[in-house]
Amino acid sequence: MLDINVYNSDFENKWCPGCGNFDILSAMKNAFVDLGISPQKLLIVSGIGQAAKTPHFLKCNAFHSLHGRALPIATGAKIANHDLTIVVNSGDGDCYGEGGNHLINAIRRNIDLTLLVHNNMVYGLTKGQASPTSELGTVTKIQLHGVISAPLNPISFALSLGATFIARGFSGDGEQLSKLIESGVTHKGFSIIDILQPCVSFNRINTHSWYKSRVYDLEKTDYVPDNWMRAMEISQDWGDKIPTGIIFQKDTPSFTDRIDTLKESTLINKKYSEERLNNVLSKL
Amino acid sequence: MNSSNSVAAGAGLGLMEVAFESLSHILKKKFQSKSKDVVEMNLSAAKFGYDSVKDISLKTTLKWNRRKPKGALIDGSKAFALGALAGDCRFASFYPMSPATGIMAQLSLLADDFPLVVEQAEDELAAINMIIGSSFAGVRSITATSGGGFCLMTEGLGLAGITETPVVIINAQRPGPATGLPTRTAQGDLLFTIRAAQDEFPRFVFAPGTPFEAFQITARAFKLSEKYQVPVILLTDQFLNDSLFISEKPFRAPKSIPRFTVEDKDIKAPEQYNRFKLTKSGVSPRALPCNGEALVVVTGNEHSEDGHISEEIKDRVNMARKRRSKVKNMIKEMKPPQLLYEKSKTLLVCWGSTKGAVMEAVEVLRSRKMDVGCLIFSDIWPFPSDHVISALEKCKKFVMVELNQTAQLGQLIRELTGLSYSDAILKFDGRPIYPNDIVERVIQFI
Ligand SMILES: Cc1ncc(C[n+]2csc(CCOP(=O)(O)OP(=O)(O)O)c2C)c(N)n1
Ligand code: SF4
Repeated sequence: MLDINVYNSDFENKWCPGCGNFDILSAMKNAFVDLGISPQKLLIVSGIGQAAKTPHFLKCNAFHSLHGRALPIATGAKIANHDLTIVVNSGDGDCYGEGGNHLINAIRRNIDLTLLVHNNMVYGLTKGQASPTSELGTVTKIQLHGVISAPLNPISFALSLGATFIARGFSGDGEQLSKLIESGVTHKGFSIIDILQPCVSFNRINTHSWYKSRVYDLEKTDYVPDNWMRAMEISQDWGDKIPTGIIFQKDTPSFTDRIDTLKESTLINKKYSEERLNNVLSKL
Repeated sequence: MNSSNSVAAGAGLGLMEVAFESLSHILKKKFQSKSKDVVEMNLSAAKFGYDSVKDISLKTTLKWNRRKPKGALIDGSKAFALGALAGDCRFASFYPMSPATGIMAQLSLLADDFPLVVEQAEDELAAINMIIGSSFAGVRSITATSGGGFCLMTEGLGLAGITETPVVIINAQRPGPATGLPTRTAQGDLLFTIRAAQDEFPRFVFAPGTPFEAFQITARAFKLSEKYQVPVILLTDQFLNDSLFISEKPFRAPKSIPRFTVEDKDIKAPEQYNRFKLTKSGVSPRALPCNGEALVVVTGNEHSEDGHISEEIKDRVNMARKRRSKVKNMIKEMKPPQLLYEKSKTLLVCWGSTKGAVMEAVEVLRSRKMDVGCLIFSDIWPFPSDHVISALEKCKKFVMVELNQTAQLGQLIRELTGLSYSDAILKFDGRPIYPNDIVERVIQFI
């Protein structure tokens, strides 16, 4: 069993005290310990934002990339070496806003990555503008009269595209969250975990206690996450009762499983052959 | 039934004074699966077209050489694709855009027989970032696009720059901003390409002039990109990509592929590995993620040697200097522009795919006793100033030949060598330039 301290990074963490990201970071470490994935075997890819800084705060191989672009970077890395375990940390702005098209297509590809969306319903890093998940009426320094566009429902969105692993976590329930991350990493295909994350500095409505009094764990009910219609129904629940846990899961071959070239070995482990190329060139 | 195509083919070839048998041979072959009637009808239609232009004679006539030409019949697109394989490229990601799509279509055709994955990305942002991800993980990768797509890629280009991740990007030029003229040709992106993306970071820019050069330079691009850990951009255009050329020089695969990455055994203390270790050459030993003890950390933020975010003055200055310091060795990799008839009083200066037209124009002009040579660039950036100065110093004047409005290479030469072109033959109507266009203008200048 790995010691959880192997993930400790000495890079100074500047998240605001009380930020939900700290709990997500701990849940990640716990999940990696349980899965037995050492820092050397882990690649974390992230976009830009407070959430996307996560890989600096734990020991791992890391690519902290561009706003919105974590998924294509991770997709490329997975195609190059499908033996890698790749986790993506992203924010609701990073993933559902700037990188929306990439999310659509990562789901369509069913590329074997685990996407953690730290959903704080606000742009944290840029100091509190509305995000695609901000609720109607949310007042910010930019949206002075409140948000007038409807919020995106990430769970129904992912379901509608045929995602093969969809879960909702809450940073305040670390035990459940680390289990969800484990299941996401173990799932062969694209996993999206939308994580409800209080932002103590810029979201004064959806606070820790706001969530705490609303969330419930689907696993403690008779819900079974294998029925798409039922999942779509549950994905609409929001308000007094907010379901968390695995909402839908199914087994379908992942993107790299469907590529014949990758059946025998990873792309990175293949060999250049002068003869093979000369065979083609000599026929010109 | 309609055989107007055959009438047109007959008339066209008649104007070019091709022997009718050549056409009838092709028509018979083309329609061999059809009934005899169809063949006959097309033959007579072609003959009708052929005969109807008998009395028209064009200003220029073509000499028809009936021997089978030596060498390969190949377009630029295929040559770029094969060049990528000769550079051991294993991943290609792209979003369709003319005139770059042909390169990816060629790579797709090859993908079943090579260790190669080709993926159509959801957009150019994804295309560039996917190849950055795959290259980061250790696989040589390419993308190809045209100006509009290249605009979308520029943030990714900067990411490759600051994370020092090797990538090869082909920008197949077409005329106009925005959508422009999608199926026409141009050389309007030179200055944009050498400066694309914010701030400053080193890159290579090459512009092959023929399919053979496209093949060789693409293979070389992969090597240089990995050796210096910088992006390489190849400039081509619709004319080079889509035209068929006869290439006499044989295409050959390299014996082996030199690699420029390190493993734990090459690193003194892998547990303390720093991806951006400061070195004299500016190039840090590059390990691959999840390949041993060495942890590889990179970020698009400015960073310290260990790859973590830093806004310290020391780190910012050191990293910017480190990246910049690669240029002195990168310049040594630049081949001098090709100089033909070096002692000529007048030199025509061009780059990329106008090479053929310029060389032909020079021959025509010399046959008319005019003292004209040419200087042809394929290696453009970092700018090989010393080579350019020594080539241009001796001529009395030089004339730019470019497919843009403002003589972009001419501007660059002036900026970086102080030497000014005296005239410029510029064509920006979207059509390729022909030797005659050049000859007629040069005669006016001299
Ligand atoms: C191309 C680009 N546009 C804008 C930004 C500025 N920016 C950085 S992070 C961010 C939004 C962050 O919000 P979110 O993704 O929800 O992450 P959080 O900080 O809340 O974790 C923005 C707009 C940027 N870095 N790059
Ligand atoms: S601004 Fe919000 S999301 Fe960012 S660190 Fe502070 S509390 Fe966390």
